[in-house]
Amino acid sequence: MFKNEEMEINLGPQHPSTHGVLRVKLRLDGETVTKCTPVIGYLHRGVEKICENKTFFQGQVWTDRMDYVASISNNLGWAEGVEKLFGIETPRRARYIRTMLTEQNRLASHLLWLATHALDIGAMTVFLYAFREREYLLDLFEAFCGARLTTTAFRIGGLREDLPPGFIKNAQAFQDRFLACIDEYEELLTENRIWKKRTVGVAKLNAEDCIALGVTGPVLRAAGVPYDIRKAFPSAAYAEMDFEIPTRTEADTYARYLVRLAEMRQSHRIIQQCIDGLPEGPVMAKIPKILKSEVNEVYHPIEAPKGELGYYFVAEKGGTMPYRMHVRAPSFVNLQALPKMTEGRLLADVIAAIGTLDVVLGEIDR
Amino acid sequence: MSFLRTLIPFDIIGGLTVTGRYFGKVFFSANRKKIRANLAHFTQEYPEVPVKLQPRFRGRLTLLKDEQGEIKCVCCLACEKICPTQVITIEKGKKEGRKMPFPVRYDFEMERCIFCEFCVESCGFDSIILNHQFELAGYNREDFSLGMDGLGHNMFEPSPVGRHSVAED
Amino acid sequence: MPTMTLTQTLVMGLLQCVAVLILIFVMVPLLTFAERKVIGYIQVRLGATRTAGGLVGITGALNRGMWAMGKLPVLSILRGLPVFIADILKLILKEDIIPAKAERSVFTLAPIISVMAAFGVFSAIAFFPGVLFTFPAKFPIVGGLPFMGFISDVNVGVLYILGLSSVGVYGIVLGAWASNSKYPLLGGLRSAAQIISYEVPLTLSLLTPVVLAGSLNFKDLSIRLSTGADMHWLGAIPLFVGFLVYTTCGFAETNRTPFDLPEAETELVAGFHTEYSGMKFGFFYLAEYTNMIVVSCFASAFFLGGYYLLPFGLQRLIPASVPFLGQPSILFFFLKVFAILFLFLWVRATLPRYRYDQLMDVGWKWLIPLTLVNLFVAGLIRYAF
Repeated sequence: MFKNEEMEINLGPQHPSTHGVLRVKLRLDGETVTKCTPVIGYLHRGVEKICENKTFFQGQVWTDRMDYVASISNNLGWAEGVEKLFGIETPRRARYIRTMLTEQNRLASHLLWLATHALDIGAMTVFLYAFREREYLLDLFEAFCGARLTTTAFRIGGLREDLPPGFIKNAQAFQDRFLACIDEYEELLTENRIWKKRTVGVAKLNAEDCIALGVTGPVLRAAGVPYDIRKAFPSAAYAEMDFEIPTRTEADTYARYLVRLAEMRQSHRIIQQCIDGLPEGPVMAKIPKILKSEVNEVYHPIEAPKGELGYYFVAEKGGTMPYRMHVRAPSFVNLQALPKMTEGRLLADVIAAIGTLDVVLGEIDR
Repeated sequence: MSFLRTLIPFDIIGGLTVTGRYFGKVFFSANRKKIRANLAHFTQEYPEVPVKLQPRFRGRLTLLKDEQGEIKCVCCLACEKICPTQVITIEKGKKEGRKMPFPVRYDFEMERCIFCEFCVESCGFDSIILNHQFELAGYNREDFSLGMDGLGHNMFEPSPVGRHSVAED
Repeated sequence: MPTMTLTQTLVMGLLQCVAVLILIFVMVPLLTFAERKVIGYIQVRLGATRTAGGLVGITGALNRGMWAMGKLPVLSILRGLPVFIADILKLILKEDIIPAKAERSVFTLAPIISVMAAFGVFSAIAFFPGVLFTFPAKFPIVGGLPFMGFISDVNVGVLYILGLSSVGVYGIVLGAWASNSKYPLLGGLRSAAQIISYEVPLTLSLLTPVVLAGSLNFKDLSIRLSTGADMHWLGAIPLFVGFLVYTTCGFAETNRTPFDLPEAETELVAGFHTEYSGMKFGFFYLAEYTNMIVVSCFASAFFLGGYYLLPFGLQRLIPASVPFLGQPSILFFFLKVFAILFLFLWVRATLPRYRYDQLMDVGWKWLIPLTLVNLFVAGLIRYAF
């Protein structure tokens, strides 16, 4: 009369807690997850293939639309990758400004992560507080390049224009109040007993598993591996910056939360150094109107907010477009860890795990 | 000690203090006169209060005319070539009394435009800009096919939609 | 009090029921409006300030009016008030969809059970212990009769209320099952487990005032507790602990944050009412907010001093001869109800949500032992003094 049956439910692609169009097939035994299968591809546009049919100048606009909450990081990877391919040296001022904007974008991305992660777990007010600061940052991006999300901020060889008047003043105003804002989020979450219960020990992924699955970014650093591309292979002006790599060893959701908050403080420090030490000079190198490539291939990694973002270019002789372009997207690789994190745990932990991985579907599906 | 800490919810009281403080701040300054002085809340009452845009904002593509009312475009096709989504189509032509080539057609398909401003950057004659218009919604596809002529759908005039304000002040 | 004929009794009963219904139907939409506003202010935004719609017609006029209201110091807080009428209209006018594979009769019955259980509770709640006003003699049937602050004076009112309010969970479970869908089923199961677990500490924490005052009649209990008649002043301590536990359980019973697992929107889409729409959903909605009011009325009456000013039996500090503060008043009662309702909203905006197993932990490992100890202390105080 009674029989045990496992229930299969679909989390997404239209579900209030999956970020974007992620679909997760779950097998549930009561509330316990026995099998978890992420299904991706609902946002596939073929960015890599499109970029093979666009010139090196044009391709950048597609990178905006991959990780749309951290588009400046994507722009940086594209611009520096192409510069590496052609051996272009960017002026020092341009590199400083690139560093500053990328770090501000890291703040914006982490704020969005904090907002949605807290909302997934049920703390709805942190969402609006984090968006308040993010809004200020997006206004800064709008002042610099004219758009808030799809920035297309950089150009091959430097920047299109110098900083607008008043930018440094506004950025400094943000710097002055931001640390107090982080303290506010911490007051609401860090010691809160419910937040700790929902995150401590949840969705563990130790260092060996992280490395085996290729997981990078804050998830890896929360497992105790101090791997940060900004230190390991510094580009832009990161070599001249003084900052630390925050790590934890607990490797759970709470540790990732603390690591990301500490990263926000470090980004704040880097932006301050950029503002204080901003050199004078041109922002654009002399580059030809049409870039014609030699036979060459280049892999250029940068530290995006989600982890290692790598651009791989293969160029043919005399080509104005990349012969082959591939993106190593951090969200795509990190999502592989989801079944490992959630199988054998409760349904509510799946939500926490998706939140803590900080995936952006535009980047996964490309 | 930890037993007592579990029993007395200091952490929850701390959180309630933060949110309660914001409630008080906004509650006592919720009327509009005070808001301008000290920003207690962050709501932008958009249709009533116009949005402040940055000078570099990238809006809709607009053709420019010079002081004599002549179209500045000289059909060098730089914008057409650089455009990543191929939304610009230019047809070269001649006009009497004008030495430079004259665009007979300058078509702009806004539905595919991604507002990257590469066209403006490539233009050597400053003959196009992206203006500050962002209320670009339309009721049918034809609203998005802009050109040099047409009623309200040409590239010299503001977009026909986007008047939502009920404010009189 | 003059003796009443049968007709008079019936008419008076009807009038009082209608008065309470009107009270509920005014308070619930106002509560939803307050929720928008309070949570909005907490989140440094303005909450509802306009109704949806165009620039012309009724909505246009309303929006213009509300924009003008924003300039006035007090009225600016009330901007967006017409939204609650729009809310009701939307719920009534929306298409009522019954899923094809749903169990039609149970699906329809479930919201009715929920809403009946929530409304029935009010028949034993006393908003005021005595006569509110007397009808003038010129009224046809009810002339000269007093209008009481309660519908009926039930001897075992507390038991009745506890019994009836736990019927509401049937509505949720049946509705979830009848939807024949996976997310509602999970929500319904969670809800059943949660409400059954939290019924225990809720009842136990309510036993504290019952033991201290020695009555099960709603208004007697409330008056005895607040005036401290034959209750030692030490009784304030178990009452205070009981208040905290009761409020916590009340959050769980009404499925509010941090215990809103049955309708955790980030996990279960909308929980047990995922498949409901239109006024059927409206009934669940109404039941949830009515339950919030019930819980607030209870906390107000039994722990916070009810019709008197000071809570926890401290009213004895003010002699009854003091004109306004020493007398019972319906204002004090509703003041406390509103304060607790505000707490509901405040907590919702602040706290994250428990996980299912942690919720059970909190209920069984912390709240039930705590209430038992508290009840024991209350019994000691009652016995010793």
